[in-house]
Amino acid sequence: MSEMKGIREIVGKDHTATVPVPLDENAIKLKSVLLEDIKRSAYVYRVDCGGCNGCEIEIFAATTPVFDAERFGIKVVASPRHADILLFTGAVTRAMRMPALRAYEAAPDPKIVVSYGACGCDGGIFHDLYCVWGGTDKIVPVDVYIPGCPPTPAATIYGLAVALGILDQKLKGSSVKEEEGERVTLKHTGIPLEMKVIIEREARRLAGYRHGGLIADDFMNILVESTTETVDANIKAYLDKKDDPRLREIFDNLYRVSLAELCGRSQSADTEAEG
Amino acid sequence: MFKLLKSITKAGDSIVKYPFAPLEVSDDFRGKPEYNSKECIACAACTRACPANALIMETRAEDDSRRWELSMARCIFCGRCEEVCPTGAIKLSKEFELAVTNKKDLYEDATFTLAHCRECETPFAARKAVDYAMDLLVQSGMSEEQQEKRRHQVETCPECLRKQSMMDYDNVFHGVHLTNGQQSQGERA
Repeated sequence: MSEMKGIREIVGKDHTATVPVPLDENAIKLKSVLLEDIKRSAYVYRVDCGGCNGCEIEIFAATTPVFDAERFGIKVVASPRHADILLFTGAVTRAMRMPALRAYEAAPDPKIVVSYGACGCDGGIFHDLYCVWGGTDKIVPVDVYIPGCPPTPAATIYGLAVALGILDQKLKGSSVKEEEGERVTLKHTGIPLEMKVIIEREARRLAGYRHGGLIADDFMNILVESTTETVDANIKAYLDKKDDPRLREIFDNLYRVSLAELCGRSQSADTEAEG
Repeated sequence: MFKLLKSITKAGDSIVKYPFAPLEVSDDFRGKPEYNSKECIACAACTRACPANALIMETRAEDDSRRWELSMARCIFCGRCEEVCPTGAIKLSKEFELAVTNKKDLYEDATFTLAHCRECETPFAARKAVDYAMDLLVQSGMSEEQQEKRRHQVETCPECLRKQSMMDYDNVFHGVHLTNGQQSQGERA
Protein backbone atom coordinates (compact mmCIF):
# COMPACT_ATOMS: atom_id res chain seq x y z
CA MET A 1 0.00 0.00 0.00
CA SER A 2 2.90 2.33 0.64
CA GLU A 3 3.38 2.44 -3.12
CA MET A 4 -0.02 4.07 -3.59
CA LYS A 5 1.13 7.55 -3.07
CA GLY A 6 -1.02 10.35 -1.79
CA ILE A 7 -2.81 8.32 0.78
CA ARG A 8 0.23 7.95 2.97
CA GLU A 9 0.79 11.67 3.28
CA ILE A 10 -2.73 12.92 3.42
CA VAL A 11 -4.50 10.36 5.56
CA GLY A 12 -2.97 8.78 8.58
CA LYS A 13 -4.51 5.36 8.03
CA ASP A 14 -2.34 3.25 10.28
CA HIS A 15 -5.00 3.08 12.93
CA THR A 16 -7.86 2.26 10.56
CA ALA A 17 -6.84 0.05 7.67
CA THR A 18 -9.23 -2.33 5.96
CA VAL A 19 -8.18 -5.74 4.75
CA PRO A 20 -9.80 -6.96 1.54
CA VAL A 21 -11.72 -10.21 1.63
CA PRO A 22 -9.29 -13.01 0.68
CA LEU A 23 -9.96 -14.77 -2.60
CA ASP A 24 -10.74 -18.45 -2.46
CA GLU A 25 -8.32 -20.62 -4.48
CA ASN A 26 -11.12 -22.56 -6.10
CA ALA A 27 -12.87 -19.34 -7.00
CA ILE A 28 -9.78 -18.19 -8.92
CA LYS A 29 -9.77 -21.44 -10.88
CA LEU A 30 -13.49 -21.21 -11.54
CA LYS A 31 -13.20 -17.63 -12.79
CA SER A 32 -11.64 -18.65 -16.11
CA VAL A 33 -14.42 -21.22 -16.57
CA LEU A 34 -16.97 -18.55 -15.78
CA LEU A 35 -15.53 -16.25 -18.43
CA GLU A 36 -15.89 -19.03 -21.00
CA ASP A 37 -19.48 -19.64 -19.97
CA ILE A 38 -20.91 -16.14 -19.73
CA LYS A 39 -19.39 -14.57 -22.80
CA ARG A 40 -22.68 -13.42 -24.26
CA SER A 41 -24.78 -13.36 -21.14
CA ALA A 42 -23.41 -11.45 -18.21
CA TYR A 43 -25.64 -10.32 -15.39
CA VAL A 44 -24.55 -7.18 -13.67
CA TYR A 45 -25.49 -6.19 -10.16
CA ARG A 46 -24.82 -2.62 -9.15
CA VAL A 47 -23.62 -1.99 -5.59
CA ASP A 48 -23.81 1.66 -4.64
CA CYS A 49 -21.32 2.19 -1.82
CA GLY A 50 -22.10 5.84 -1.23
CA GLY A 51 -21.63 7.47 -4.60
CA CYS A 52 -23.20 10.64 -5.92
CA ASN A 53 -25.40 8.69 -8.40
CA GLY A 54 -23.54 10.10 -11.39
CA CYS A 55 -22.09 6.64 -12.01
CA GLU A 56 -25.55 5.06 -11.75
CA ILE A 57 -26.90 7.45 -14.36
CA GLU A 58 -24.09 6.49 -16.75
CA ILE A 59 -24.64 2.77 -16.11
CA PHE A 60 -28.28 3.19 -17.03
CA ALA A 61 -27.29 5.33 -20.01
CA ALA A 62 -25.21 2.38 -21.18
CA THR A 63 -28.32 0.18 -21.18
CA THR A 64 -30.43 2.66 -23.18
CA PRO A 65 -31.13 1.98 -26.88
CA VAL A 66 -28.31 4.31 -27.99
CA PHE A 67 -25.49 2.34 -26.38
CA ASP A 68 -27.55 -0.80 -25.88
CA ALA A 69 -25.35 -2.92 -23.63
CA GLU A 70 -27.99 -5.66 -23.86
CA ARG A 71 -26.90 -6.54 -27.36
CA PHE A 72 -23.81 -8.06 -25.70
CA GLY A 73 -26.02 -9.84 -23.19
CA ILE A 74 -25.11 -7.44 -20.41
CA LYS A 75 -28.12 -7.07 -18.22
CA VAL A 76 -28.62 -5.19 -14.97
CA VAL A 77 -30.31 -7.42 -12.42
CA ALA A 78 -32.03 -6.63 -9.15
CA SER A 79 -30.39 -9.15 -6.84
CA PRO A 80 -26.75 -10.06 -6.19
CA ARG A 81 -27.81 -13.73 -6.17
CA HIS A 82 -28.36 -13.55 -9.93
CA ALA A 83 -25.17 -11.67 -10.67
CA ASP A 84 -21.98 -12.65 -12.49
CA ILE A 85 -20.50 -9.18 -12.35
CA LEU A 86 -20.63 -6.89 -9.35
CA LEU A 87 -20.27 -3.21 -10.16
CA PHE A 88 -19.10 -1.24 -7.12
CA THR A 89 -19.63 2.50 -7.36
CA GLY A 90 -18.86 5.15 -4.76
CA ALA A 91 -16.00 5.70 -2.34
CA VAL A 92 -17.21 3.04 0.18
CA THR A 93 -18.47 5.00 3.14
CA ARG A 94 -18.06 3.46 6.58
CA ALA A 95 -21.78 2.79 6.79
CA MET A 96 -21.87 1.03 3.40
CA ARG A 97 -18.97 -1.33 4.07
CA MET A 98 -21.07 -4.11 5.61
CA PRO A 99 -23.94 -3.93 3.06
CA ALA A 100 -21.34 -4.02 0.27
CA LEU A 101 -19.69 -7.08 1.81
CA ARG A 102 -23.10 -8.73 2.17
CA ALA A 103 -23.79 -8.14 -1.52
CA TYR A 104 -20.36 -9.58 -2.30
CA GLU A 105 -20.99 -12.67 -0.20
CA ALA A 106 -24.46 -13.12 -1.66
CA ALA A 107 -23.24 -13.33 -5.25
CA PRO A 108 -22.53 -16.92 -6.41
CA ASP A 109 -18.86 -17.67 -6.26
CA PRO A 110 -17.02 -17.33 -9.50
CA LYS A 111 -17.82 -13.64 -9.73
CA ILE A 112 -16.16 -10.68 -11.35
CA VAL A 113 -15.77 -7.53 -9.31
CA VAL A 114 -15.60 -4.26 -11.20
CA SER A 115 -14.60 -1.03 -9.52
CA TYR A 116 -16.51 1.73 -11.25
CA GLY A 117 -15.69 5.45 -11.39
CA ALA A 118 -12.98 7.53 -9.76
CA CYS A 119 -14.48 6.96 -6.31
CA GLY A 120 -14.63 3.21 -6.74
CA CYS A 121 -11.07 3.03 -8.06
CA ASP A 122 -9.30 5.09 -5.45
CA GLY A 123 -11.80 7.15 -3.50
CA GLY A 124 -11.83 9.88 -6.15
CA ILE A 125 -12.41 13.36 -4.85
CA PHE A 126 -13.57 11.92 -1.51
CA HIS A 127 -10.39 9.94 -0.91
CA ASP A 128 -9.31 11.87 2.19
CA LEU A 129 -12.63 12.16 3.99
CA TYR A 130 -12.79 10.66 7.46
CA CYS A 131 -15.95 8.73 6.62
CA VAL A 132 -14.81 6.71 3.59
CA TRP A 133 -12.51 3.75 3.08
CA GLY A 134 -11.47 5.16 -0.27
CA GLY A 135 -12.03 2.60 -2.98
CA THR A 136 -13.56 -0.80 -3.57
CA ASP A 137 -10.22 -2.62 -3.42
CA LYS A 138 -9.91 -1.79 0.26
CA ILE A 139 -12.76 -4.19 1.07
CA VAL A 140 -12.98 -6.76 -1.76
CA PRO A 141 -10.55 -8.09 -4.40
CA VAL A 142 -11.15 -6.19 -7.65
CA ASP A 143 -10.71 -7.61 -11.16
CA VAL A 144 -11.25 -4.56 -13.34
CA TYR A 145 -10.98 -0.84 -12.68
CA ILE A 146 -13.01 1.58 -14.81
CA PRO A 147 -11.80 5.13 -14.09
CA GLY A 148 -13.77 8.25 -14.99
CA CYS A 149 -15.94 10.73 -13.17
CA PRO A 150 -18.31 9.31 -14.23
CA PRO A 151 -17.14 6.93 -16.98
CA THR A 152 -19.05 7.60 -20.19
CA PRO A 153 -21.43 4.87 -21.41
CA ALA A 154 -18.85 3.96 -24.06
CA ALA A 155 -16.17 3.64 -21.37
CA THR A 156 -18.59 1.47 -19.39
CA ILE A 157 -19.12 -0.88 -22.30
CA TYR A 158 -15.36 -1.01 -22.91
CA GLY A 159 -14.71 -1.73 -19.24
CA LEU A 160 -17.26 -4.55 -19.13
CA ALA A 161 -15.78 -5.97 -22.33
CA VAL A 162 -12.35 -5.96 -20.64
CA ALA A 163 -13.91 -7.66 -17.62
CA LEU A 164 -15.39 -10.35 -19.88
CA GLY A 165 -12.08 -10.81 -21.68
CA ILE A 166 -13.46 -9.71 -25.04
CA LEU A 167 -11.33 -6.57 -25.47
CA ASP A 168 -7.77 -5.96 -24.35
CA GLN A 169 -6.55 -3.34 -21.93
CA LYS A 170 -5.06 -0.33 -23.70
CA LEU A 171 -3.68 1.79 -20.87
CA LYS A 172 -0.16 1.06 -19.64
CA GLY A 173 1.52 2.55 -16.61
CA SER A 174 4.63 4.55 -17.39
CA SER A 175 7.60 5.94 -15.55
CA VAL A 176 9.91 8.54 -17.09
CA LYS A 177 13.19 9.96 -15.87
CA GLU A 178 14.48 13.38 -16.82
CA GLU A 179 17.27 13.13 -19.35
CA GLU A 180 20.58 14.93 -19.04
CA GLY A 181 20.40 18.48 -20.33
CA GLU A 182 16.66 18.37 -21.03
CA ARG A 183 15.31 21.87 -21.50
CA VAL A 184 11.87 23.30 -22.14
CA THR A 185 11.79 25.55 -25.16
CA LEU A 186 9.84 28.78 -25.04
CA LYS A 187 6.91 29.12 -27.40
CA HIS A 188 6.24 32.12 -29.67
CA THR A 189 9.63 33.71 -29.08
CA GLY A 190 8.97 36.15 -31.92
CA ILE A 191 6.36 38.00 -29.86
CA PRO A 192 7.46 40.36 -27.07
CA LEU A 193 6.56 39.18 -23.57
CA GLU A 194 4.32 42.17 -22.75
CA MET A 195 2.26 41.59 -25.86
CA LYS A 196 1.95 37.89 -25.09
CA VAL A 197 0.59 38.75 -21.66
CA ILE A 198 -1.92 41.22 -23.15
CA ILE A 199 -3.13 38.72 -25.76
CA GLU A 200 -3.50 35.88 -23.25
CA ARG A 201 -5.23 38.06 -20.71
CA GLU A 202 -7.73 39.39 -23.27
CA ALA A 203 -8.43 35.93 -24.68
CA ARG A 204 -8.99 34.49 -21.21
CA ARG A 205 -11.21 37.42 -20.27
CA LEU A 206 -13.40 36.75 -23.28
CA ALA A 207 -13.44 32.98 -23.54
CA GLY A 208 -12.73 31.66 -20.05
CA TYR A 209 -9.49 30.31 -18.72
CA ARG A 210 -9.09 27.04 -20.60
CA HIS A 211 -10.50 28.03 -23.96
CA GLY A 212 -8.92 31.45 -23.71
CA GLY A 213 -5.54 29.80 -23.37
CA LEU A 214 -6.15 27.63 -26.42
CA ILE A 215 -7.40 30.55 -28.52
CA ALA A 216 -4.46 32.77 -27.50
CA ASP A 217 -2.14 29.92 -28.46
CA ASP A 218 -3.72 29.62 -31.93
CA PHE A 219 -3.65 33.39 -32.42
CA MET A 220 0.01 33.65 -31.50
CA ASN A 221 0.85 30.69 -33.73
CA ILE A 222 -0.62 32.61 -36.66
CA LEU A 223 1.24 35.78 -35.67
CA VAL A 224 4.55 33.95 -35.47
CA GLU A 225 4.08 32.17 -38.76
CA SER A 226 3.04 35.17 -40.83
CA THR A 227 4.64 38.44 -41.87
CA THR A 228 3.01 41.89 -41.79
CA GLU A 229 1.70 41.35 -45.33
CA THR A 230 0.23 37.89 -44.82
CA VAL A 231 -1.15 38.17 -41.29
CA ASP A 232 -4.61 39.40 -42.34
CA ALA A 233 -5.04 36.68 -44.95
CA ASN A 234 -3.83 33.99 -42.52
CA ILE A 235 -6.25 35.06 -39.81
CA LYS A 236 -9.09 35.16 -42.32
CA ALA A 237 -8.25 31.68 -43.61
CA TYR A 238 -8.16 30.33 -40.05
CA LEU A 239 -11.51 31.91 -39.15
CA ASP A 240 -13.13 30.68 -42.36
CA LYS A 241 -11.95 27.17 -41.55
CA LYS A 242 -13.36 27.31 -38.01
CA ASP A 243 -16.56 29.10 -39.09
CA ASP A 244 -17.53 30.25 -35.60
CA PRO A 245 -18.91 33.78 -35.00
CA ARG A 246 -17.80 33.70 -31.35
CA LEU A 247 -14.25 32.91 -32.35
CA ARG A 248 -14.38 35.66 -34.98
CA GLU A 249 -15.40 38.19 -32.36
CA ILE A 250 -12.62 37.12 -29.98
CA PHE A 251 -10.03 37.17 -32.77
CA ASP A 252 -11.14 40.67 -33.77
CA ASN A 253 -10.63 41.80 -30.19
CA LEU A 254 -7.24 40.13 -29.91
CA TYR A 255 -6.17 41.68 -33.17
CA ARG A 256 -7.26 45.10 -31.98
CA VAL A 257 -5.47 44.93 -28.63
CA SER A 258 -2.28 43.58 -30.15
CA LEU A 259 -2.34 46.27 -32.83
CA ALA A 260 -2.94 48.93 -30.19
CA GLU A 261 0.00 47.56 -28.22
CA LEU A 262 2.20 47.65 -31.31
CA CYS A 263 1.15 51.22 -32.23
CA GLY A 264 1.45 52.37 -28.63
CA ARG A 265 4.95 50.97 -28.49
CA SER A 266 6.06 52.57 -31.71
CA GLN A 267 4.48 55.88 -30.64
CA SER A 268 6.23 55.87 -27.30
CA ALA A 269 9.43 54.93 -29.08
CA ASP A 270 8.89 57.93 -31.36
CA THR A 271 8.33 60.27 -28.47
CA GLU A 272 11.39 58.90 -26.73
CA ALA A 273 13.42 59.48 -29.86
CA GLU A 274 12.07 63.01 -30.07
CA GLY A 275 12.76 63.67 -26.39
CA MET B 1 -48.68 1.58 -42.16
CA PHE B 2 -46.56 2.12 -45.24
CA LYS B 3 -45.91 5.69 -44.12
CA LEU B 4 -44.79 4.49 -40.71
CA LEU B 5 -42.32 1.99 -42.19
CA LYS B 6 -41.03 4.68 -44.46
CA SER B 7 -40.38 7.07 -41.60
CA ILE B 8 -38.73 4.26 -39.64
CA THR B 9 -36.31 3.55 -42.47
CA LYS B 10 -35.64 7.26 -42.76
CA ALA B 11 -34.84 7.54 -39.05
CA GLY B 12 -32.03 5.03 -39.50
CA ASP B 13 -30.13 3.11 -36.84
CA SER B 14 -29.88 4.86 -33.50
CA ILE B 15 -27.56 2.36 -31.84
CA VAL B 16 -23.91 3.43 -31.86
CA LYS B 17 -21.54 0.95 -33.40
CA TYR B 18 -19.06 1.62 -30.65
CA PRO B 19 -17.02 -1.44 -29.73
CA PHE B 20 -16.89 -2.49 -33.38
CA ALA B 21 -16.20 0.97 -34.78
CA PRO B 22 -14.37 3.84 -33.10
CA LEU B 23 -16.66 6.29 -31.33
CA GLU B 24 -16.69 9.91 -32.43
CA VAL B 25 -16.40 12.14 -29.39
CA SER B 26 -17.03 15.86 -29.36
CA ASP B 27 -14.26 18.45 -29.75
CA ASP B 28 -14.04 19.44 -26.12
CA PHE B 29 -14.25 15.93 -24.74
CA ARG B 30 -12.14 15.59 -21.62
CA GLY B 31 -10.45 12.21 -21.65
CA LYS B 32 -7.14 10.85 -20.43
CA PRO B 33 -4.66 13.61 -19.47
CA GLU B 34 -1.82 13.23 -21.95
CA TYR B 35 1.45 14.15 -20.29
CA ASN B 36 4.67 15.13 -22.02
CA SER B 37 7.53 15.08 -19.53
CA LYS B 38 9.85 16.80 -22.04
CA GLU B 39 7.73 19.95 -21.78
CA CYS B 40 7.27 19.77 -18.02
CA ILE B 41 9.25 22.14 -15.77
CA ALA B 42 8.14 20.42 -12.54
CA CYS B 43 6.67 23.63 -11.15
CA ALA B 44 3.87 21.69 -9.39
CA ALA B 45 1.15 24.11 -10.52
CA CYS B 46 -0.98 21.17 -11.65
CA THR B 47 -0.66 19.40 -8.32
CA ARG B 48 -1.91 22.52 -6.55
CA ALA B 49 -4.84 22.86 -8.94
CA CYS B 50 -5.93 19.20 -8.92
CA PRO B 51 -9.09 19.01 -6.79
CA ALA B 52 -8.90 15.23 -6.37
CA ASN B 53 -5.16 15.06 -5.61
CA ALA B 54 -4.71 12.78 -8.60
CA LEU B 55 -1.55 14.72 -9.36
CA ILE B 56 1.15 14.63 -6.75
CA MET B 57 4.60 16.16 -6.59
CA GLU B 58 7.06 14.79 -4.09
CA THR B 59 10.42 16.43 -3.43
CA ARG B 60 13.18 14.28 -2.04
CA ALA B 61 16.19 16.36 -1.05
CA GLU B 62 18.24 13.32 -0.06
CA ASP B 63 18.43 11.80 -3.54
CA ASP B 64 18.09 15.15 -5.25
CA SER B 65 14.91 14.41 -7.14
CA ARG B 66 11.37 15.58 -7.57
CA ARG B 67 8.77 13.02 -8.54
CA TRP B 68 5.54 13.84 -10.36
CA GLU B 69 2.76 11.31 -10.36
CA LEU B 70 -0.63 11.06 -12.03
CA SER B 71 -3.16 8.58 -10.73
CA MET B 72 -5.76 7.92 -13.39
CA ALA B 73 -7.79 6.10 -10.75
CA ARG B 74 -8.43 9.29 -8.86
CA CYS B 75 -8.57 11.70 -11.79
CA ILE B 76 -11.96 13.33 -12.31
CA PHE B 77 -11.07 14.74 -15.75
CA CYS B 78 -11.85 18.34 -14.87
CA GLY B 79 -9.00 19.77 -16.95
CA ARG B 80 -7.68 22.17 -14.35
CA CYS B 81 -4.15 20.84 -14.80
CA GLU B 82 -4.35 21.82 -18.45
CA GLU B 83 -5.60 25.28 -17.47
CA VAL B 84 -2.74 26.07 -15.14
CA CYS B 85 0.16 24.42 -16.97
CA PRO B 86 2.49 27.23 -18.08
CA THR B 87 4.18 25.17 -20.78
CA GLY B 88 1.29 23.05 -22.05
CA ALA B 89 2.92 19.81 -20.90
CA ILE B 90 -0.39 18.26 -19.90
CA LYS B 91 -3.39 18.17 -22.22
CA LEU B 92 -6.64 16.28 -21.95
CA SER B 93 -6.96 13.92 -24.91
CA LYS B 94 -10.01 12.21 -26.36
CA GLU B 95 -8.94 8.81 -25.07
CA PHE B 96 -11.67 7.28 -22.92
CA GLU B 97 -10.84 3.56 -23.01
CA LEU B 98 -9.08 3.48 -19.67
CA ALA B 99 -10.31 0.29 -18.00
CA VAL B 100 -7.48 -1.84 -16.60
CA THR B 101 -7.16 -5.15 -14.83
CA ASN B 102 -3.99 -4.20 -13.01
CA LYS B 103 -4.14 -1.13 -10.84
CA LYS B 104 -0.47 -0.26 -11.42
CA ASP B 105 -1.32 0.61 -15.02
CA LEU B 106 -3.37 3.56 -13.80
CA TYR B 107 -0.30 5.37 -12.53
CA GLU B 108 2.12 7.51 -14.49
CA ASP B 109 5.18 9.12 -13.04
CA ALA B 110 8.18 11.24 -13.99
CA THR B 111 11.31 12.12 -12.05
CA PHE B 112 13.17 15.43 -12.29
CA THR B 113 16.44 16.67 -10.88
CA LEU B 114 16.75 19.61 -8.50
CA ALA B 115 18.85 22.75 -8.83
CA HIS B 116 21.23 23.65 -6.02
CA CYS B 117 21.52 27.10 -4.50
CA ARG B 118 24.71 28.94 -5.45
CA GLU B 119 25.30 30.08 -1.91
CA CYS B 120 24.33 27.28 0.43
CA GLU B 121 24.24 24.31 -1.98
CA THR B 122 20.81 23.15 -0.80
CA PRO B 123 18.41 21.98 -3.50
CA PHE B 124 15.56 24.49 -3.75
CA ALA B 125 13.68 24.09 -7.09
CA ALA B 126 13.54 21.87 -10.14
CA ARG B 127 16.44 22.49 -12.50
CA LYS B 128 14.13 22.81 -15.49
CA ALA B 129 12.00 25.42 -13.71
CA VAL B 130 15.07 27.53 -12.94
CA ASP B 131 16.25 27.27 -16.55
CA TYR B 132 12.78 28.21 -17.79
CA ALA B 133 12.61 31.28 -15.55
CA MET B 134 15.99 32.40 -16.86
CA ASP B 135 14.92 31.83 -20.47
CA LEU B 136 11.83 33.98 -19.87
CA LEU B 137 13.98 36.80 -18.50
CA VAL B 138 16.32 36.58 -21.47
CA GLN B 139 13.41 36.65 -23.86
CA SER B 140 11.90 39.72 -22.22
CA GLY B 141 14.89 41.63 -23.58
CA MET B 142 17.64 41.82 -21.01
CA SER B 143 21.15 42.99 -21.68
CA GLU B 144 24.05 40.55 -21.15
CA GLU B 145 25.17 42.39 -18.04
CA GLN B 146 21.72 42.31 -16.45
CA GLN B 147 21.41 38.64 -17.35
CA GLU B 148 24.53 37.71 -15.41
CA LYS B 149 23.26 39.62 -12.40
CA ARG B 150 19.85 38.03 -12.60
CA ARG B 151 21.23 34.55 -13.17
CA HIS B 152 22.91 34.74 -9.81
CA GLN B 153 19.67 35.85 -8.23
CA VAL B 154 17.56 33.20 -9.96
CA GLU B 155 19.94 30.40 -9.00
CA THR B 156 19.94 31.33 -5.32
CA CYS B 157 17.45 29.89 -2.87
CA PRO B 158 14.85 32.20 -1.27
CA GLU B 159 16.46 31.77 2.16
CA CYS B 160 19.83 33.04 0.95
CA LEU B 161 18.20 35.83 -1.04
CA ARG B 162 16.47 37.02 2.09
CA LYS B 163 19.73 36.97 4.03
CA GLN B 164 21.52 38.86 1.28
CA SER B 165 18.91 41.59 1.11
CA MET B 166 18.97 41.94 4.89
CA MET B 167 22.75 42.37 4.86
CA ASP B 168 22.43 45.11 2.30
CA TYR B 169 21.76 48.22 4.39
CA ASP B 170 20.01 50.12 1.59
CA ASN B 171 17.25 47.53 1.45
CA VAL B 172 16.20 47.95 5.07
CA PHE B 173 13.62 50.69 5.56
CA HIS B 174 13.52 51.41 9.25
CA GLY B 175 10.60 53.56 10.25
CA VAL B 176 9.37 53.96 6.70
CA HIS B 177 5.77 53.96 7.93
CA LEU B 178 6.41 56.49 10.68
CA THR B 179 7.06 59.42 8.37
CA ASN B 180 4.31 60.69 6.10
CA GLY B 181 3.76 59.15 2.67
CA GLN B 182 5.30 61.81 0.51
CA GLN B 183 8.49 62.04 2.47
CA SER B 184 9.12 58.33 2.51
CA GLN B 185 8.46 58.17 -1.22
CA GLY B 186 10.95 60.89 -1.75
CA GLU B 187 13.49 59.11 0.41
CA ARG B 188 13.07 55.90 -1.46
CA ALA B 189 13.43 57.61 -4.80
